Amino acid sequence: MPSLGLPIFGQSPAGAPASPRWRSLAERDGTVDPAAGLYPDGEEPAPEGFSRRSFLQILGASTALATLAACKPPREQVVAYVKRPVGVTPSVASHYASAVSRGGYGVGVVVESHEGRPTKMEGNPGHPASLGGAGLHELATILDLYDPNRLSGVRRHGQPVAWGAFLGELSVMAGVLAQDGGARLRVLAEPTSSPAEADLRARLLARFPRARIDSWGPIADDAAREGTRVAFGRPLDPELRLVGADVVLSLDADFLATEGDHLRHARDFASRRGQPTGINRLYVAEASFTVTGGAADHRLRMRASEVLGFGRAVAAALASGHGLTQLAGLGAPLAGPRGRQATVVAADLARVRGRGLVVAGRRQPAAVHALAAALNEALGNAGATVVYRESALLDPASGPDRLAALAAELRAGQVDTLVITAWNPVYTAPADLDLGALLARVPNVIYLAATDDETARAAGVVVAAAHPLESWGDLRGRDGTASIVQPLLSPLVECVTGLDLLAAFVDQGHLGAWRLVREGWKARAGEAGFDRAWSEWLASGVVTGRSLAPAAPVKAGLDLARVSAALRAAPAPGAGLEAVFAPDDKTLDGRYAGNAWLQELPHPVSKLTWDNAASLSPATAARLGVKTGSQVTLTLRGRSLTAAVLVQPGHADDSVTLPLGYGRSVAGPAGAAVGFNAYALRAAAAPWIDGGLELKATGKSHDLAQTQEHFSMEGRSIALAFDVDKLEAAAHELEEQRGPQPSLLPLVDYGKEEYRWGMSIDLSKCIGCGACTLACQAENNIPVVGKEQVLNSREMHWLRVDRYYQGSEADPETVSQPLACVHCEQAPCEYVCPVNATVHSDEGLNEMVYNRCVGTRYCSNNCAYKVRRFNYLDYHKAVTPQLKMLQNPDVTVRATGVMEKCSYCVHRIEHARIDARVAGVKIGGDTVVSACQQACPAQAIVFGNLNDPTSRVARAQQGERRYDLLHELGTRPRTAYLARLKNPNPELA
Amino acid sequence: MSALFSPRSDALLKLVLGLLVGGAVATIGGLLLYVRTPYGVSQAEQLVQPVQFDHRHHTQDDLIDCRYCHTTAEKAPSAGIPPTETCLACHAQVWNKSPLLDQVRASWFTGKAIPWTRVHKLPDFVYFNHAIHVNKGIGCATCHGRVDQMASIEQAQPLSMGWCITCHQDPAPNLRPLDQITNMKWQPPANQAEVGPKLAKQYDVRARVSCTTCHR
Amino acid sequence: MSSKPATAAVLDPLEPVPVLVGRPDDRALTEALLKPLYAPTTRGWKLLITALAAGTGFWLLSLATTLVVGIGAWGNNIPVAWAFDITNFVWWIGIGHAGTLISAILLLFQQKWRTSINRFAEAMTLFAVAMAGIYPIIHLGRPWFFWWLMPYPATTQLWPNFKSALPWDVFAISTYATVSFLFWYIGLIPDLATLRDTAPTRLKRTIYGLFAFGWRGSARAWQHYRIGYLLMAGLGTPLVVSVHTIVSFDFAISQLPGWHTTIFPPYFVAGAIFSGFAMVVTLMIPARKILGIEDVITMKHLDNMAKVILATGMMVSYGYAMEHFMAWYGGNKYEAFAFINRWTGPYAPVWYMQLFCNVLAPQVFWFPSLRRNLKVLFLVSILVNIGMWAERFIIIAVSLHRDFIPSSWAMYSPTWVDWGLLFGSMCTFGVLFLLFLRFLPVIPIAEVKELRRELDHLDAQAAGHGATGEGTP
Repeated sequence: MPSLGLPIFGQSPAGAPASPRWRSLAERDGTVDPAAGLYPDGEEPAPEGFSRRSFLQILGASTALATLAACKPPREQVVAYVKRPVGVTPSVASHYASAVSRGGYGVGVVVESHEGRPTKMEGNPGHPASLGGAGLHELATILDLYDPNRLSGVRRHGQPVAWGAFLGELSVMAGVLAQDGGARLRVLAEPTSSPAEADLRARLLARFPRARIDSWGPIADDAAREGTRVAFGRPLDPELRLVGADVVLSLDADFLATEGDHLRHARDFASRRGQPTGINRLYVAEASFTVTGGAADHRLRMRASEVLGFGRAVAAALASGHGLTQLAGLGAPLAGPRGRQATVVAADLARVRGRGLVVAGRRQPAAVHALAAALNEALGNAGATVVYRESALLDPASGPDRLAALAAELRAGQVDTLVITAWNPVYTAPADLDLGALLARVPNVIYLAATDDETARAAGVVVAAAHPLESWGDLRGRDGTASIVQPLLSPLVECVTGLDLLAAFVDQGHLGAWRLVREGWKARAGEAGFDRAWSEWLASGVVTGRSLAPAAPVKAGLDLARVSAALRAAPAPGAGLEAVFAPDDKTLDGRYAGNAWLQELPHPVSKLTWDNAASLSPATAARLGVKTGSQVTLTLRGRSLTAAVLVQPGHADDSVTLPLGYGRSVAGPAGAAVGFNAYALRAAAAPWIDGGLELKATGKSHDLAQTQEHFSMEGRSIALAFDVDKLEAAAHELEEQRGPQPSLLPLVDYGKEEYRWGMSIDLSKCIGCGACTLACQAENNIPVVGKEQVLNSREMHWLRVDRYYQGSEADPETVSQPLACVHCEQAPCEYVCPVNATVHSDEGLNEMVYNRCVGTRYCSNNCAYKVRRFNYLDYHKAVTPQLKMLQNPDVTVRATGVMEKCSYCVHRIEHARIDARVAGVKIGGDTVVSACQQACPAQAIVFGNLNDPTSRVARAQQGERRYDLLHELGTRPRTAYLARLKNPNPELA
Repeated sequence: MSALFSPRSDALLKLVLGLLVGGAVATIGGLLLYVRTPYGVSQAEQLVQPVQFDHRHHTQDDLIDCRYCHTTAEKAPSAGIPPTETCLACHAQVWNKSPLLDQVRASWFTGKAIPWTRVHKLPDFVYFNHAIHVNKGIGCATCHGRVDQMASIEQAQPLSMGWCITCHQDPAPNLRPLDQITNMKWQPPANQAEVGPKLAKQYDVRARVSCTTCHR
Repeated sequence: MSSKPATAAVLDPLEPVPVLVGRPDDRALTEALLKPLYAPTTRGWKLLITALAAGTGFWLLSLATTLVVGIGAWGNNIPVAWAFDITNFVWWIGIGHAGTLISAILLLFQQKWRTSINRFAEAMTLFAVAMAGIYPIIHLGRPWFFWWLMPYPATTQLWPNFKSALPWDVFAISTYATVSFLFWYIGLIPDLATLRDTAPTRLKRTIYGLFAFGWRGSARAWQHYRIGYLLMAGLGTPLVVSVHTIVSFDFAISQLPGWHTTIFPPYFVAGAIFSGFAMVVTLMIPARKILGIEDVITMKHLDNMAKVILATGMMVSYGYAMEHFMAWYGGNKYEAFAFINRWTGPYAPVWYMQLFCNVLAPQVFWFPSLRRNLKVLFLVSILVNIGMWAERFIIIAVSLHRDFIPSSWAMYSPTWVDWGLLFGSMCTFGVLFLLFLRFLPVIPIAEVKELRRELDHLDAQAAGHGATGEGTP
């Protein structure tokens, strides 16, 4: 029998946090006016009556008893505001724009808030890095806000210290440090683009000229900037413009999921997919199977260390075959099939000069990035499909080199005071630096952290960090677009922002981040009319006007000599097993390991939950005698650890991918001791690709909880994919998958209704990232069930993304297929329900009525798509009072023993309906947006009114690629799929 | 040896059997009746509120409109329980010494909300929306009764699902002109049978009975 | 009792084994058949019922766990939302079919051999249905709302969905339980009266007397009794067919490959009788020995039941064959896969076990010698019980675990609660049965007396002179 305690959120060891009566420490100390009215005051308790949070109070029992008249549920209280905050209407959600940091760059978000409780984060359509789409981490960040394991207040060796008193100590300490110009002061900072922090750092260095501020990001883009430095003489950030790219060659770049402005990339890339005309073509040369590789037309499977060689072969082919002689010095032809691929790719790139693009991946050495720059320059792509910008980061170099330098100083005992705002360096630092031990040598380590972690255990003083939704701040996007980070509620715990902490060293810790940020922008924008502008920025989430627009891309000359020199200096691929380190799609560098939503989200490629695994190719696995679930010992540079193996079809042979971000020793109930810690094998010298990995099976095995175990379609027409040139030929097959089916029953004609809600999912655009699943979870109060339940295939996600492999196991193609309730017009689930708990609405929606459900589960048995989810256990038992604040009051929380499923976000439909009916108008065809559609960065999902011929969904479902899943069953699903179009190069077929 | 059973025992047996069967039937029938009684649905229950707020006085003597306090009834799902602020809008001047208002003033100065007792309670899985009803010609009194005659608010209607459905299936009899929404004294005219449907057409009333209209 | 062989003159060559050995008179019969009830409780009985009671405890624990924890205490998941729960339900209901068949249909067909075993079978039916009735309720996610499946005027103005087969089940099973009980009880009344009149202590006499409803055995009473009994038989007969037909609808009305089959009703009914008779044999072989009533429940009865088992077993096998034929002939790739999956899928061993137990094992009954070999009979009857449980598991869980969309395929594995609900219910069934053996006459005494008269009558005719007669019993 499964253990019934779910490993989601236990109570915080510190116990329940004190109820906050203040917005920021500064305000508590009464030193600052918190600009009342700029945001709702989360302080007042939400009126109970409006929330659906208490659905759990064994609804079943109480209702039953009430009906049995045994007793009556006790009267509840109605708690009204004492003073209603500006802009808050009880029972009506409000939305606020802000930004979150991704690798130091800002991504614009819009946060939904109910009576001062943030409940959902979505993309900000006005922000260039989001364009309305949201990634896994933008969506999941809000869960960390309510994490019961958050730290609170300031603690010195575990003893609480009052912030006010601590400020005093800091200013004294600062005074002492200032005497020798801060020679013994170091700051290890989180990479950021915050202008406010820039000002602060300037003030800091002015006071401590001999101090140094180093940035540390374990998955930084240093190689890319080093590459551009080689090519252009100074470090620059490439900015991809995929809309204009007809042919894209990715040299191990996962630009659709984990690198760069992946949200905008996905949108731009998808905008060129789906239509036979103007479809782009993507070549991906990579070792590990990434989301980008899954979207590729040709996935060129090769060891990560061979990518450079491949790139040079392309250069050689361009030089010899296409008159780009300037590339001759860079090229080095390859023999065999790989060489042939290179020539074909080269030809394709040459064919579309100025409309092609070569992208180098974060993992690859600087030489590859320099080569990519050179190729783009030579092909005339630079300036068209790729432009270069000065990095918006305050400190472009944030890789292992800087950390190694600091480590040396620590080892030499040259540092008295080390302030750490970087996330968890003890855990993320390359193993050979042994940072944890070095911290012990520093008398005074001050660490800013949101939750208890490895570094917090090693630091003397730990200051609780504020969540982005509790913080004032500012961030720049990669293109320089600035956003103001604004809080939505007063801190749930005693905490400060990085700005507050650094300001303390220049005796401004009492000002509060709000003033620091605001004063900074006032200085930049000028006094005149500032307040109005400020409010506009807060409202739109983007700083505009007043000559604050981002600087134009730089035009830099390329130095081919330096590039070829770098290429020659680059090491040749070593023999033996290669280790490839990769940021995990879910936990990133590990900072989201404690996030239960992300832990339970199936990995976009492997569908793995609650674990990471060393993935390798079937052939290599066979050679080494391991299979999925085998436990192995990995040894690299004399360091070793045990990990579980996952056999990944399509992985390069003799190469092992080691996802970072797991195996945390201190990370709260959700993240601790989940997976293995790849950092333990990572060396400062070779942070991404390393040779000479040894892998030995221990003979033990480890349960890997994958939500999908069968990756074959068994020859059934489920997720259809066709090559562009074969679309006509496939017309017949598609025709069979749509259109009317004979039925003995009289069919209801929903065409006469005013609204006929429907959805279309374009498999050509879908990259399988899983944002839709997460958005659905956040929107619909979907519980996290834990690894044990996932192993028993009881995961609760309403919307799952199925992934199928086609072709050889060694090198398969993939199709991703998001699948939720398709809202059959002839629904098999409905007629078998004995109590009418699932029925059809007048508009043909397949309704699930939780409070009527008795839980026979027959509907699930009879559902051909198996999209229904059953509350086998009380999955909300682990929801602490704090986490209840996260739940969306517009959606009922389901009790034990009740069936649930996708509702087409019916609460959004009903909201739109009532608004429209009150206003006396008709709901627009595209007005209602489902949560999954809203999040999808690639805009693969379209929802709307099928009876409105002008609606996007109606037009999409008219398309030639439209087909219905399991059409032969005559279920008449409302969700239609658009078959995937692939654009392979005939010469590589 | 004496007889085991007296001659009467047959009759006795029949009686017992009869009682067993009858009892079962009576119990079930009783329960079905009970849930239809006012008591069964908590109708007409006198509830003690922390502050003795008298709707009769405020609506009749002071002629205050419902929407002065329940501000969001026309534009939000919730009609809105007035914040303490609203009380003091008047009572900062009038009755500002009255001991009856101690708790109101206390609430204002301590910042602690007044713990009213909920009277009209729908289950948590029911999503009622005031705006759509008020804007389509359903008056306050239709569901809340003659609030203007209540010393302390009590539940006037069963608020059972059947009760909701009955009106949703045929709202016409309960429709009134929009200018009469908050009028407590409004009575349906003799010709409501003709007026009702007219209003329904005029306000484009489309009461739905699909489950997700209320359960989401 | 006297066991002198019947005279050669009346020995029917076609019926080498008599349905009643010897011709004991009424007193002898009464004494013989009531002996077990008045004899002091044996040690074996005590040991056995204690052991079974322990199993019942395990069963109650499993039930409680299910109610407190929820269905999550079981191994069920998505896609396998039904597994042991419904398998057990169908298995028990099936077993519950022998009783009514023997009592009602064989009565209408005036099969003499039914007489001695009908109450035995009816009791078994009753307890089996009681066990079966538990599962439809506890398999609900919210069992405290089970009454929503019944039509009653709710203040929500909602009614059950009569399109679904599940509310039909409610009626089918409750009706069947009621009729079986009444039928069994009416049959008991005259014997309860006998017990009232013969029981040793006044207390026992009083208790039996209360339940005898003042039966005096007057001719008028007997006349009403006969009519009533015949009416009940008439009522019971259609139920034998209807109950399992409706249970089969639970699956047949779905669209799941492996469930969606038109032959389910007859196929399920045959299977029900198959398993029902197997269970009767399983229980009867030890019972007749322990109670020393081999002369009343003779080889003849066992032989006939073996024949029935063989016949129904063949029907069930035909059902299997037809399912496969339709899967191929229907040309539906999902249907085809469902059956290929039975042969080659991860649950194939269960499937092979089912084939062995239900198709091969009963074939031994072609041979009279084996039909009358107690060991073989007992073994095969056990196998059939196992096989029929496996069949339901294959139909329910294995059809579910791999259906239309491969991405949702998953395995099912039971938890200790699942096992507890299966074996616990068997033990509870056993406890009820032991109590029945201890406190009620296993053999319908009055009917056996009648039977003896009928036999005397036949003997007399065979011997060429009129029947010897005492009055009515």
